[in-house]
Amino acid sequence: MNAPLPPSLIPPATLADIAAGERVTVVAVVGPDQIRRRLMEMGLCRGVEIDVLRRAPLGDPIELRVRGYLLSLRGVQAALVMVQRAVRGPSQPASV
Amino acid sequence: MSATAIASAPPTLRSIALAGNPNSGKTTLFNALTGLRQKVANYPGVTVEKKVGRCQLADGSLCTITDLPGTYSLIPQSPDETVAMEVLRGLRDDTPSPSAIIAVVDASNLARSLYLVSQLLELGVPLVIALNMTDIADRRGVGVDAARLSQELGVAVVPLVGNRRRGIPELLRALADASPPQPRSWSAAEALVRAGDQLVPGIIAAGMAPPALAAQLARRLLIGDAVAQGAALHQRELSTACAAARAELQQAGCDPLVEDIEARYRWIDQVVAASVRSSAAGAPTALTERVDAILVHRVWGLLIFTVIMASLFISIFIIAKPIMDALGDGISWLGDRCTSGMPEGALASLINDGVFKGVGGVVVFVPQIALLFLFLAALEDSGYLARAAFLMDRLLAKVGLHGKSFIPLLSSFACAIPGVMAARTIDRPRERLATILVAPFMSCSARLPVYTLLIGAFFSGYGPYRDGIIKGLIMLGCYVLGIVAAAVTSLGCRWLLGRKEVSPFILEMPSYKLPQVSEILRQMWSNTRQFLTKAGTTIFCLSVLLWALAYFPRLPVEREAAVRALAGPVHAAVPSPPVSAPPAAVAAGQVSSAVPDAPAASAASAASGDPAATAATAEADNAVAAEQLAYSWAGRLGHAIEPAIAPLGFDWKMGVGLVAAFAAREVFVSTMGIVYSVGEGGEDKQQIQDAMLKDRTPDGRPVWSPLVAASLLVWFVLAMQCISTFAVVRRETGGWRWPVFQLAYMNALAYLGSLVTYQVGIRLLG
Repeated sequence: MNAPLPPSLIPPATLADIAAGERVTVVAVVGPDQIRRRLMEMGLCRGVEIDVLRRAPLGDPIELRVRGYLLSLRGVQAALVMVQRAVRGPSQPASV
Repeated sequence: MSATAIASAPPTLRSIALAGNPNSGKTTLFNALTGLRQKVANYPGVTVEKKVGRCQLADGSLCTITDLPGTYSLIPQSPDETVAMEVLRGLRDDTPSPSAIIAVVDASNLARSLYLVSQLLELGVPLVIALNMTDIADRRGVGVDAARLSQELGVAVVPLVGNRRRGIPELLRALADASPPQPRSWSAAEALVRAGDQLVPGIIAAGMAPPALAAQLARRLLIGDAVAQGAALHQRELSTACAAARAELQQAGCDPLVEDIEARYRWIDQVVAASVRSSAAGAPTALTERVDAILVHRVWGLLIFTVIMASLFISIFIIAKPIMDALGDGISWLGDRCTSGMPEGALASLINDGVFKGVGGVVVFVPQIALLFLFLAALEDSGYLARAAFLMDRLLAKVGLHGKSFIPLLSSFACAIPGVMAARTIDRPRERLATILVAPFMSCSARLPVYTLLIGAFFSGYGPYRDGIIKGLIMLGCYVLGIVAAAVTSLGCRWLLGRKEVSPFILEMPSYKLPQVSEILRQMWSNTRQFLTKAGTTIFCLSVLLWALAYFPRLPVEREAAVRALAGPVHAAVPSPPVSAPPAAVAAGQVSSAVPDAPAASAASAASGDPAATAATAEADNAVAAEQLAYSWAGRLGHAIEPAIAPLGFDWKMGVGLVAAFAAREVFVSTMGIVYSVGEGGEDKQQIQDAMLKDRTPDGRPVWSPLVAASLLVWFVLAMQCISTFAVVRRETGGWRWPVFQLAYMNALAYLGSLVTYQVGIRLLG
């Protein structure tokens, strides 16, 4: 990706599809009210930036950084978080 | 109780609730405030810990402090969070509604912590923010301006250094002065605000809230807060108005649930921007992330995990053993001392084998429980417990369990008692219950003596090398069978409860901290004490009951004498009676004449120190013990269940062993020793094995065979045969329902397993 695409042209993905080291922005949180509410209460609201840090050695869950703290989600829950990849591509993990 | 204790009874005391997110350092603050003046109990009807303590405010008045379970939101998602919400909203009869609230806020994780604060501000109860871990936040480059934060929130903010007592006097002063915060409205979308405003008159008319709090109740109705909706259930007009408003919002494309949370976070972002000076270049979690890069690494992470879990297991499996043995020996020595002056009989036996063994049966678990909770507290305090769950979750999720089920299940290989207790660390109720239900399938150390006895007796003689391999494989098979049974059971639970019941795994990975020794010791002590007082009583009562089953009714004196005469022809021949009757001749008619002789003779020969005579006496004693056991209720029970267990290949002797093994599985071995008249000493294993091999049915077939042993092994792997586990499960699940279900289920499964093993085996082997 040399020339950055305008945000409207980047296809939305779910948090479960994002590779470790990537930074994404939350577009929407879907799913049953109970789970959706808790995900958002934990800070995964629209517009929030998430850094996907790593996957567990067995492939699931994933660890991410959101609002200055670390959170882990199973793939099943991560798939409820619709995200958009940052336009400028993968970020350096520890810089804000 | 003294007059002062009555005068300071709860109603006159201010009651203060301590609320906060998990990992916010709430409990450390609770301990600092209350010292040792605290009480741990359970909230009635749920298995949530209730911790209440006392503390003196700055104005000298006493107050009670309730340490609530950690919660992320006042819209609860677990029993823990439900209790916290109910106490904070004053909905519980067992806890007074709080007159003030301390919100513990982690300064190094301010944004997320303020979400709960945004809800606490709406309760209309005086609120003080304890800004915890300011030192850690400073070190991470997050400087929180407490004065500015206080200004933004409209309530007092007291900075604390959690592990030292700095800030506590200020907190107490702020509590004494606290007043209810001003009601506020989060700048939500206009549509939501308007919809709320429409409901307000109805709420005030129904008298559901004072005018000042009506707007936020309207908001709660719109976002689907179950508690608010429940309260409005009987206000028909309000309910219809609310439903209409929700439908209208939906049509307008406004989701109240999303809108409310986002509005709060918009406010939080402003508050954080105003009161936090971030000085570091990197993220505040940079250090924790660097440690995580190693501790959850696919190679190093798993390696370190293995080392930590191995040392946990070794400490409860091996290091606890000598302490447990010493405790057991000490207690039986005490029992001997207490009864040494007593005549033999029911009272001495009750004290020795009933009371002291019962106490010993409780105390014996203490080293394992204490060590396990030492580890658990250290792992939890340091932040590693969440990583262990992160590493293992995939494996356990496949069978419907949780990453945090790993340590309880691992511990259960040493003993299910600490294992079941360790399931407390799982905050999802369904996974916690499933973990408790399957934990006893892990082959515990009490099963080992049974395994080695049976495998040693019936699976040997294949040659020097193959012997070891075959024995090892069978032993391994026992462990694997238990694990498979656990996995299948857990999957069955999930299937029964339906897939939609699967609770989400949303786990905070707290920042790493150095655990505090005092906190760890306190937690270790608190858990051990709870075991002793709560589960210990049940275990003790059940052991005394089991003692009575094996002790009563007593063998009639004539029967005992007859057995003695039969068993001890040698000693009968040596000392007193000049002519010994051949054993077969000691028939009913001669029994009464033998009565006075036998005990006297055995006493005499024992005193004489003649080795042959002593051996003969011991043999006679063993024979009497065997007869006594067969005569007791336990023996009769063994006989009574023989028809039921015959299809499994078991006879009544094994039945007695199974009954007795409810005290603890390893008791099966010593019971076999008594049944086969070789004494109950553990070192006589070879003798027990020989006796088992020699035992014949009345028609001359061997009672035991490798197939019978295999069937019995399957039984021991699968059966729940431990009153202590039963008692602990009752305590941990808060009722009889689950332990009874578990007992019935596991023993039914064991019966089925043994039945299939034996019946299929007998058809295959002819």
